[in-house]
Amino acid sequence: MTQELLMSSTETRGKPGVRRYAMVIDVRRCIGCMACQVACKAEYDVPLGVFRTWVPYRVTGKYPTVKKQFLPRLCNHCDDPPCVRACPVGATYKLEDGGFVLQHYDRCIGCKACMASCPYNARFMLPEHRTYTDITKVVDKCTFCYHRVIQGLVPACVQTCVGRSRIFGDLNDPNSEVSQLVAKHATQVLRPEQGTKPHVFYIGADRNLTDYGRAVYKRDEQADIERAVFNRNKHI
Amino acid sequence: MNEYTVFHTMAWPSAYAIYFFVIGIASALFFFSALSWFREDYYRPLREKAFYASFVLLAVGGLLLIGDLSQPGRFLNTINPAYMNFRSPLAWGALNLMSFGLVSVLYFFMMRKGDAVNSKRLAVIGSLLALGLPIYTGFDLTVHQHRPVWSTPLMPVLFVGLSLLSGAAVATLLNQGDEKLASALRRLMLWSAGAVGAMLISLLGTTAYGGVGAELTFMFLTTGTLGMIFIGVGIIAGTALPIALLLAPFGRQQVGMMAASVLILVGGMALRYSILYGGQILQTYY
Ligand code: SF4
Ligand code: SF4
Repeated sequence: MTQELLMSSTETRGKPGVRRYAMVIDVRRCIGCMACQVACKAEYDVPLGVFRTWVPYRVTGKYPTVKKQFLPRLCNHCDDPPCVRACPVGATYKLEDGGFVLQHYDRCIGCKACMASCPYNARFMLPEHRTYTDITKVVDKCTFCYHRVIQGLVPACVQTCVGRSRIFGDLNDPNSEVSQLVAKHATQVLRPEQGTKPHVFYIGADRNLTDYGRAVYKRDEQADIERAVFNRNKHI
Repeated sequence: MNEYTVFHTMAWPSAYAIYFFVIGIASALFFFSALSWFREDYYRPLREKAFYASFVLLAVGGLLLIGDLSQPGRFLNTINPAYMNFRSPLAWGALNLMSFGLVSVLYFFMMRKGDAVNSKRLAVIGSLLALGLPIYTGFDLTVHQHRPVWSTPLMPVLFVGLSLLSGAAVATLLNQGDEKLASALRRLMLWSAGAVGAMLISLLGTTAYGGVGAELTFMFLTTGTLGMIFIGVGIIAGTALPIALLLAPFGRQQVGMMAASVLILVGGMALRYSILYGGQILQTYY
């Protein structure tokens, strides 16, 4: 089994002696309260207009049988991450023990190749000014709360999740809750065809909701208005 | 996905399209100047003029690239051996750009000295490095496996074709009535425009008949404002029309060739812009 999973030299899932952190998101339990988004903002002084984690939604069905479906999103800490490959100066790197995909902020030149290469749009450019942090004008993304995990804590979004929809742990440890969930349930990952081997697993996500829909092309007027407002103010 | 919470921005803005454009022209012009040592009968009038234009455009391109970094001061990181990541085409691109700049400077001194032997040597090395520039810019896009339109083996070849085409157009504008040179450039424009046209048609085909992401990209690229830029300006006005013009008797006259060149340049910019944006527009909604 292990041999079958390992395809690229960077992969750490199933590798003996190293940890492989992953997140399971049970979308059946997500109530769209956005507490994770707020906790994440507070944890890392995430500036206005950009997000390390975000919770988009779709309304499906036809009135009166409509359903609002949430799909919490974040960096997938891919096992074969294209963003690491794309970075010309090695500012984006992957930790072998833990599988975290992280960023050397002092090395990043801001070429945005990693942003272009991430199939999940998990990366963003930090604006020029931040409230409490002086890391600015470099690319950032979710770090799986590396600073908390090395202290034995779980990521801020996991800690705060009201519905216990987010579960975090070491996938290489058969006794962890995440490995048991992944073993027991049918799980989905985003855009598996890209070969990135994402390590955020969803339970109960519908592929029709996780990929592009034609609505993207025929987007409603309101979304366009909001995007225009966003584009006007994005340099705050 | 409804988007009341997050809007994504495009990674690479139009400065990259302008960079692709000027660097493509710079490399083709260097090639023409280099060719003048081997095909004196045709390209001699271009030797100095083409080189100077190439050098200026190279400087403009370099500044554009550095200026677009959010940390321009750190551009030296790209050539720091301790940091360099050779799996990234950008790292190769930075090396290519630097060495091309260096060879261009050496070539300038040899050319000024009238040292034909060394000029020829540097012309060959410089031409290879010049060829590397559109190739690496194409690779820059190709490697993004999830971006329809970009992720195709055609991209580096298309960029070489576009480079030759726009370079020949600029060379035509630089030509001061030399008939032999004009006819060589006319042939070059016809062949490269034909090749670019064929590649664009296959690009449209594979995108239209691709998966859902590719199909949506096709829709974005062929309708609305982007459609007007890609199809209207890039393909019709900037590729098909110049071919027709150059084939007509009017296209053999200097003024006809100049008109075709201007159209080619406008089209070349439009094509680079729309391909750059077409590959990114979908993701901003994901
Ligand atoms: S989700 Fe994107 S940013 Fe995160 S590791 Fe994968 S490719 Fe990199
Ligand atoms: S923006 Fe920074 S992290 Fe991203 S590829 Fe460029 S240098 Fe690397």
